[in-house]
Amino acid sequence: MSKSTNAVAADGATKTKGFSIPQTAPLIVFLLAMVVFFSIASEYFLDIENFKNILVALAVTGMVCVPGTFLMIAGHVDLSVGSAAAVSGMLLAQTVNSKGIAFGLACCLIFGLVLGIINGIFVTIVGVNSLITTLGGLATLYGVALLAGNGQTVMMFGFEWLGTAQPFSIPLPIIIFAILAVIGVITLRRTSYGRSLYAIGANPNAARVVGIRSNRILFITFVLSSVAAALAGAVLASQLSAGDPNAAKGLELEVVTAIVLGGASLAGGRGTLLGTVLGLVVIQVLNNGLILLDVPSFWQRIAQGILLIAAVSFDQIRQKIVAQKG
Amino acid sequence: MGKDLVQLRNIHKSYSGVEVLHGVDLALASGEVLALLGENGAGKSTLVKILAGDIPPTSGTISIDGTELARLDVYQARQLGIRMIFQELNDAPTLTVAENIFLGQLPRSGGFISWSEMEKKAQEILDRLQVKIPVDAIAGSLRVGERQLLEIARALTQNAKVLVLDEPTAALSSVEVDRLFTVMDQLKAQGVGMIYITHRLDEVARVADRVQVLRDGTSVLTVKNSEIDRTALVTAMLGRAAEKNARPEAVHTSKPALKLNKLSSRLDYSDVSLHVNEGEVVALFGKIGSGTAEILESVFSLRPVTGGNIEIFGEKFSPKSPAASAEFGIGYLPADRQRLGSFGIRSVAENLAVTCWKKMSNLGFVNQRKEFQAFERWAEALRISSRSGATQEIATLSGGNQQKVLLARWFEANVRVLLLVEPTRGVDVGARRDIYEIIRRQARESNMAVLVATSDYEEVVLLADRALVMARGKIVKELTGDSVDAQSLVSASS
Repeated sequence: MSKSTNAVAADGATKTKGFSIPQTAPLIVFLLAMVVFFSIASEYFLDIENFKNILVALAVTGMVCVPGTFLMIAGHVDLSVGSAAAVSGMLLAQTVNSKGIAFGLACCLIFGLVLGIINGIFVTIVGVNSLITTLGGLATLYGVALLAGNGQTVMMFGFEWLGTAQPFSIPLPIIIFAILAVIGVITLRRTSYGRSLYAIGANPNAARVVGIRSNRILFITFVLSSVAAALAGAVLASQLSAGDPNAAKGLELEVVTAIVLGGASLAGGRGTLLGTVLGLVVIQVLNNGLILLDVPSFWQRIAQGILLIAAVSFDQIRQKIVAQKG
Repeated sequence: MGKDLVQLRNIHKSYSGVEVLHGVDLALASGEVLALLGENGAGKSTLVKILAGDIPPTSGTISIDGTELARLDVYQARQLGIRMIFQELNDAPTLTVAENIFLGQLPRSGGFISWSEMEKKAQEILDRLQVKIPVDAIAGSLRVGERQLLEIARALTQNAKVLVLDEPTAALSSVEVDRLFTVMDQLKAQGVGMIYITHRLDEVARVADRVQVLRDGTSVLTVKNSEIDRTALVTAMLGRAAEKNARPEAVHTSKPALKLNKLSSRLDYSDVSLHVNEGEVVALFGKIGSGTAEILESVFSLRPVTGGNIEIFGEKFSPKSPAASAEFGIGYLPADRQRLGSFGIRSVAENLAVTCWKKMSNLGFVNQRKEFQAFERWAEALRISSRSGATQEIATLSGGNQQKVLLARWFEANVRVLLLVEPTRGVDVGARRDIYEIIRRQARESNMAVLVATSDYEEVVLLADRALVMARGKIVKELTGDSVDAQSLVSASS
């Protein structure tokens, strides 16, 4: 796919004057440096099982990152995903014990659809800024998740396979994420819907004037985002054998950090899913390494916050350099 | 008429070696209204900016109230009572009328703003203008014309002696224009001298004591109100451009593609009936705000229609959304390329193919080879030069090349009706002729009806088979064949 226009958009501007800053280069350097450092610092780091751990941890966030990247490319963001995953997990735990797995998963799916429709209505029809709409959703749904179990964790039995099964010795969440990511990459590059997301993000007014049904496309994408969050919540609950209102806390931060690290522009119009996957790997390697080095867990939060700000700053600086040359 | 208030003598102005004013004289007496006429680029704005102290003249003398000044800066000009009123509003729409009148100089007592005093003084000024607007109304809730009067009121708080009004009526309805003129009469009686810049010849006779015409940086005509002759004014404004320009070869077609029947949209335009045949290029010519661009916006569903109907190839068409218009075979090129036309950070190939992704798809997957091929085909046909070919970001192209890509976007979509608003704005002169030829060729070859909204008379002469002239929301004249010339266009639209 070397001729893909997505790759071109990332590099095109800089190529023209013979001096280029590929967006992902510093990220890859940072990743390699971390790998070298952690391999030396911890004997457990370079281990197949540890890689599986990294990938499983990455998969749940990754599911949400697929539609999250779509939204960011279109110039929008969904912050309600963390709380939505929590509600979904609580819903599953409350229903699985009495009504069975199929019913529980159906509840999660319906919850995801309904939430996506609500977000979509507020953003595209009422016209509320997506950041505010989903920030409201984040707060409201966290309350709902606490309410659902009276603030307690709800235990769940007989439904561990979704989070822990290993067909062909590959953990199921990784398989789910890989399938979603492949579909996502193809959708972004090769469908009219995916291409329209870039156009909407690059210039929403012009998108309307060339006859793109922007509202319909955004609506669909918000629904995809909420459904993915509901799925991630179910997988997480299955891994824990419990619905925990705090299990997915901070998921939205991780999603946004991964997407921005991966080179998507906050202003919209640029970004690739492969970049986001790279961003995810960076975050999880950092988390995993810090755990292996026995660094207290609150340092992970601090590291992640710094990473987000560093990623956005880099994006801004890069844009300024491009603007000066153009 | 009173004593001489302003005397500009032999004003020259050069920008980086290029002279734009070649020794212009201008005189204004107190209580006099001088209308300043001229086409875009004639030097009107430069001249009044010199008077306002915005820019220094290269040479020449300025005297105000009989005192010759070595130099004049903005601060000094304000002190001397010279105030400018621009076409665009410079008010604070969320604040009250009184606050707007005293913007930046709110009356205080003991460090605190005295609201009662401010409102009392504001009322006095509005009374002086005989304007009835409540002083506690929010400026943003007023009509554009009333807000313009507020700007004048603000100028009066500083005892304006000379008022420069730069096309103040462009956005006003006729009632509001009358009101502005009444206010100007008031000011005149109070001895304020006014320089009135306009494009509208009918206003000149109504409001001006004297008319001065600038062309290419030279003052070419100064006449008293009693001697105003419309044809002479137009000829003076246009100069050589009044001579006949070569017209493109006529295209004769008879099958109507687009028909508007008594189309209206609130205050923007009313009862507009027109038709464009297959393969024909028709221009709607008029000043900005006359309704030309607004009609095209309505056909593409960007502006509501309040009356009449649209027919396309005999079929009734009611605008619902831009997407629906595009699906119906209508293309639209906006005047504001950056804001509404191009996707600046995306490639030229994408910018071209954006209208055709569905058409270029197999089983739902966009065929990227087709996308690149489409660009290469049009790049060759329209001579689009893009250094890195199909993958170059469109924002890095010249204006002319960008415009060609945006035109090709609709050609590739095979639209039956193409609507163009100011198609060569921001395009260099060389590429302009290129674009005219491209539009005419494409219309002929694919039997496409083209309707162009433009305020550039030269564009009409070079591009259109037929011209409809608009003024204040109505079609006032139709010109065909060799009768389409600059003189008739400007005269009919003014």
